[in-house]
Amino acid sequence: MSETKLLQMSNITKAFASNVVLNGVDISVDEGEVVAILGENGAGKSTLIKILGGIYKADAGEIRIHGEIRNINSSAVAGENGIRIIHQEIVLVPDRTIAANVFLGREPKNKFGLVDVAEMERQTQKLIDDLHLNLRADQMVRSLTMGMQQLVEIIKAISADAKIVVMDEPTSSLSQGEVEILFGIIRLLREKNIGIIYISHRLEELFEITDRIVVLRDGKMVGDIRTKEADRDHLISLMVGRELSSFYTKNKHDIGKVALEARNLSHTKLFSNASFTARYGEIVGFAGLVGAGRTELMKTVFGAYPKSGGEIFLDGRPVDIRSPQDAIRNGIAYVSEDRRGEGLILKNDVKFNMGLVCLSDFVNGIHVRDKEWNNMVEDYRKKFSIKITSPRQLAGNLSGGNQQKIVLSKWLAKNPKVIILDEPTRGIDVGAKAEIYSIIDGLAARGACIIMISSELPEIINMCNRCYVMCEGKITGEINETEFSQEAMMALATKSE
Amino acid sequence: MNKKSAGSIPGIAFFRRNIGTIIGLILLVVIISVSTPRFLTASNLLNLLRSNAVNAIISCGMLMAILLGEIDISVGSTVGLSGIIGAYMITNAGLPVGLTVVICLGVGALVGIVNGVAISYLKVPAFVATLATQSIGRGLTEIISGGVTIRVRNDAYTSIGNTSVGGVSVIIIYAAVVLVFTWFLLNRTRFGYYIYALGGNKLAAQYSGVNVKKYNMLPYVLIGLFCGLGGLIWSARLGSAAATLGSGFEMDAIAAVVIGGTSMSGGVGTVGGTFIGILIIGVITNGLNLMGINSFWQEVFKGIIILAAVIIDVVRKSRSKE
Repeated sequence: MSETKLLQMSNITKAFASNVVLNGVDISVDEGEVVAILGENGAGKSTLIKILGGIYKADAGEIRIHGEIRNINSSAVAGENGIRIIHQEIVLVPDRTIAANVFLGREPKNKFGLVDVAEMERQTQKLIDDLHLNLRADQMVRSLTMGMQQLVEIIKAISADAKIVVMDEPTSSLSQGEVEILFGIIRLLREKNIGIIYISHRLEELFEITDRIVVLRDGKMVGDIRTKEADRDHLISLMVGRELSSFYTKNKHDIGKVALEARNLSHTKLFSNASFTARYGEIVGFAGLVGAGRTELMKTVFGAYPKSGGEIFLDGRPVDIRSPQDAIRNGIAYVSEDRRGEGLILKNDVKFNMGLVCLSDFVNGIHVRDKEWNNMVEDYRKKFSIKITSPRQLAGNLSGGNQQKIVLSKWLAKNPKVIILDEPTRGIDVGAKAEIYSIIDGLAARGACIIMISSELPEIINMCNRCYVMCEGKITGEINETEFSQEAMMALATKSE
Repeated sequence: MNKKSAGSIPGIAFFRRNIGTIIGLILLVVIISVSTPRFLTASNLLNLLRSNAVNAIISCGMLMAILLGEIDISVGSTVGLSGIIGAYMITNAGLPVGLTVVICLGVGALVGIVNGVAISYLKVPAFVATLATQSIGRGLTEIISGGVTIRVRNDAYTSIGNTSVGGVSVIIIYAAVVLVFTWFLLNRTRFGYYIYALGGNKLAAQYSGVNVKKYNMLPYVLIGLFCGLGGLIWSARLGSAAATLGSGFEMDAIAAVVIGGTSMSGGVGTVGGTFIGILIIGVITNGLNLMGINSFWQEVFKGIIILAAVIIDVVRKSRSKE
């Protein structure tokens, strides 16, 4: 049977120094099969993919394609073998056309040895049309949404005869509509007998699009299940190695008076007439599709974007917030959805990052209060069980969950009254997600006013006391806890006028 | 956790961080000492320090610009402008020494303010803004000098650059003070932390409540001030100022900062590393002079050392990533 497998990776083992990252992992993919790799961060998923892509060399094990052993020792060899890896980060040249990006590095030449732009665009347009996408080959990549750019990455990957396509968290920047387009593409690829490896933290997606789910934990394969026979709780327990009795933490807390109120807040083009309230001890969700204007609305409350109209009230008094400094002075914190781009200074260490918001508590004149600073880092390390080897460890080298805990620590040190969390668990593995939920619940229990933007509806339903739904720059509805349902939220999220 | 980890002892952390350049510097010193006995003498070493003092002062400024992820290529021209104005004020205008000193520093700071406003508030890319002020400064220097060297006959003024304290030239002391000042600024003040934060990730700094515009502007004023000081010292030491004063100084400063392990993309770099960079540049120039190798070859060697330093740094970083 193994002879007929498109891809067979057997007994793959890899260690960095004494740290065994992969330990005898077997994984196979048939032609036209969509196989999910599921696992927490650090389970070995990305190492496995890098071995398949020729970036790392396995210490032991073999890779067979159509039954033949292949020595994939560089990304060029991986490419020759039809292996295409689509990374999470978009690596396109923004000021070039779709066609120029798709053919980058292998541009067709005309008889004078010059790049044949017309031919390049013709071939690209054919690919686009095959996938039923509403794009033009001569469009500039910069003019596309993040989601569409991700789809261009996929076009690029499959443009030159691909056999195995690996997608690493392909939906993390896609809107609901774009996810549907992606799934359409995956179904087309499946019909063309291409094997697909699909990595995602979103279990719902795996149930919808994959045929088989392989679960990794601590470098070992702990499950290989047909998707039809899989169930959610079982997968999660395989991943984390224990039963997650309570994934979400939601205790009853006293809801106090209104902390933050926005009246008819508007931005010149991103959103208009947004009015909402949020109380102390309350977790208020903001649901909606990617691009609905939720992040922009909250960045405006935080003073990072200028408002064109409307008012903001804190504790019933109007406040004039023109910059993040004003917001912080008024006790508002904003935890960005883009941890790496807006939350952390990756080149600097944990201690530096944690102290940045409260720097005046630790650095005064030419006096650095190292003891207080170290104590603060140590306190949060313990409280949030942050896995770091030293406060001097660079923030860029940590996992998503630990990075998010550092961003949270940085803000909580300032003791904010209103905490805006923008997609607080994006790109974080299941175990750390549960921890973040429990931290958020704890903050509300102690009386903080929490606003949580989330594109994962179960997260809103299970964490929030109340939620607003936005669509195309407008708040289209408000739902109370007792009436929460995915259907009601989706209806409001797609309710354009 | 181990309380006295190596990182907490400043000396050891300094050696560990700069091990590559320290070995490079020692190798250079050994090679040059073997080739010429005149190198390792007290008087030559003091001379080496004195002739690199102004570069040290400017490099401290350049370090701040590069830490921001930017650059200031107007430094050499600002040294020239401040030096020529100093010489003009004391000689042609007959101003008192005290006022002339203030004017020199003020000219530097003014150029810094122009750079800072253009870069931080008007969003002109640092390279372009400082290219423009470099040209303006150099032009003004030529106009003021009228193409001839201005001689300074005021002893009080020239003594600013020609006094010794216990056998050590006062210029070396100025440089030491600026180096220590910059170290304190970068390591012990919020100003310094914010420069690292801005250079590391401007958006993250802004969203953490850092006044981005202010802290992007102020370093340039300080750089200008350092250049003003550089111009003052240089014209005082030479007892004259020519239109070419300070030309090419930006190159030695960038070289020192880069050799010292500072990342051109910002956010990473130290005064200690820059100091070693300054010494490496100084030792090459001084050593090759003693060995009778002409200045054109010195330029070639300097270029090779810069490339080597950066390549070693890049290789080391990509290894530590694996």
